[in-house]
Amino acid sequence: MPRFQCTCSIAPPDLLAWLAVEGDPTQRLAAVRALATSAAIRSQRAVVGHLSRRLNINTGTMMGPELASGQRLSVYDNQKQGRPFLPGVLARDWGQPPVADVAVNQAYDGSNATYEFYQDVFQRDSLDGKGLELVSSVHYGVAFDNAFWDGSQMVYGDGSGRIFQVGGLTRSLDVIGHELTHGVTEFTAGLVYSKQSGALNESFSDVFGILVKQYSLKQAASESDWLIGEGTLVPSLGKALRSMINPGTANSGDRQPGSMAGYVDLPDNNDPRNDNGGVHINSGIPNRAFALAATALGGNAWETAGRIWYTVLTTQLSANAQFIDAANATVETAGKLFDSRVQDTVHNAWQQVGVLP
Amino acid sequence: MKVVIVRGGGVAGLTARTELDSGALPKSAAKTLAGELARANLDDVPEPPGTVSWPDAQLYEISVEGRERSITVHFTDESMPENVRLLMAWVDSRPERIESIE
Ligand SMILES: [Zn+2]
Repeated sequence: MPRFQCTCSIAPPDLLAWLAVEGDPTQRLAAVRALATSAAIRSQRAVVGHLSRRLNINTGTMMGPELASGQRLSVYDNQKQGRPFLPGVLARDWGQPPVADVAVNQAYDGSNATYEFYQDVFQRDSLDGKGLELVSSVHYGVAFDNAFWDGSQMVYGDGSGRIFQVGGLTRSLDVIGHELTHGVTEFTAGLVYSKQSGALNESFSDVFGILVKQYSLKQAASESDWLIGEGTLVPSLGKALRSMINPGTANSGDRQPGSMAGYVDLPDNNDPRNDNGGVHINSGIPNRAFALAATALGGNAWETAGRIWYTVLTTQLSANAQFIDAANATVETAGKLFDSRVQDTVHNAWQQVGVLP
Repeated sequence: MKVVIVRGGGVAGLTARTELDSGALPKSAAKTLAGELARANLDDVPEPPGTVSWPDAQLYEISVEGRERSITVHFTDESMPENVRLLMAWVDSRPERIESIE
């Protein structure tokens, strides 16, 4: 539609937003893409994610190279305003020196380390493989005890001091790697965030979160603590969010099983106790399979088990994949990428957690 | 009247409960709570669609047990109305609240 492409670049955001909702399908897609790249509204990038969901457009297929802004990352200060003010005020742009705000620098360094991990190890150019700018917002909401990926950017609260330590949510490189990997998953397998496919989504985030940390520390599998979010919770709750090698032991509220015998079958029904069908609970099972495989293989986990899991996440799984699908795919991929010894080791790991007979 | 906030999911996957009994509040604060509840208008909080588009978004439940009627609503970080956020912030600021990890 040349008619539309000509007007896009100068169309005001309001018009683009209107077209994105009310236009014909071609106009809608073009308008969403223009919104995504408009330099004038780069700071309102979140609108793209919201529109794409409202229009039911799969962001993984919609967001082509148009989302590359030409810079690697940027960090915004939400100034405790919450959702209506996302992303917030630009606090440190790509290439700028550190600022006085520790959380801003942690988000900057953690995003950069995650970018470098995916680029160096898997030759993946950002989350979408096409240079998507990594946008982070810190100081989200008031005493907010969470960090999440909103479909287009990273969001970190400050922590209340009752569950998360104040400043704890940006402190841990594996938590940053975890959140950004939700973006990788969104652009690849698109695992549905419910029950087993949701637990796999969670597990891949923990797997690559810990690998970002191990790679950054140049740490072999045998040297890893396999803890996600160590030192982020208040000490009275426990040492970490999750233990991949020993699920269920990280904190006093940790309900993670380490094998199918302890699988917690919960409904996905909006009840906060049920965690979208146990996505942060049953992820302990595939988490442990990965940690077992990586430690049995030895050496650097990102060169062996990590490569297998990466290939499976990005090329082998469908959105509704179950544990058994991930197990079969990793075993098969281990044989293709490596040899029968590696394949047997991966098979054995899934056996130990009860997913493979 | 008792207000119970349950927060679950999130990157931590922990379930945290916050309870505030208006009987434990000074009279003026109990009046403020009633005002916060009226402004939050829980009757108009729609149940989330059930499909999550923000991984690690927290899930919330607020229950209000009154003498005449009770109400329970669910929402997420994505769907949370601003006035409900303000209600929770007010409850979180009260020293009379009781917190626990479930
Ligand atoms: Zn997650």
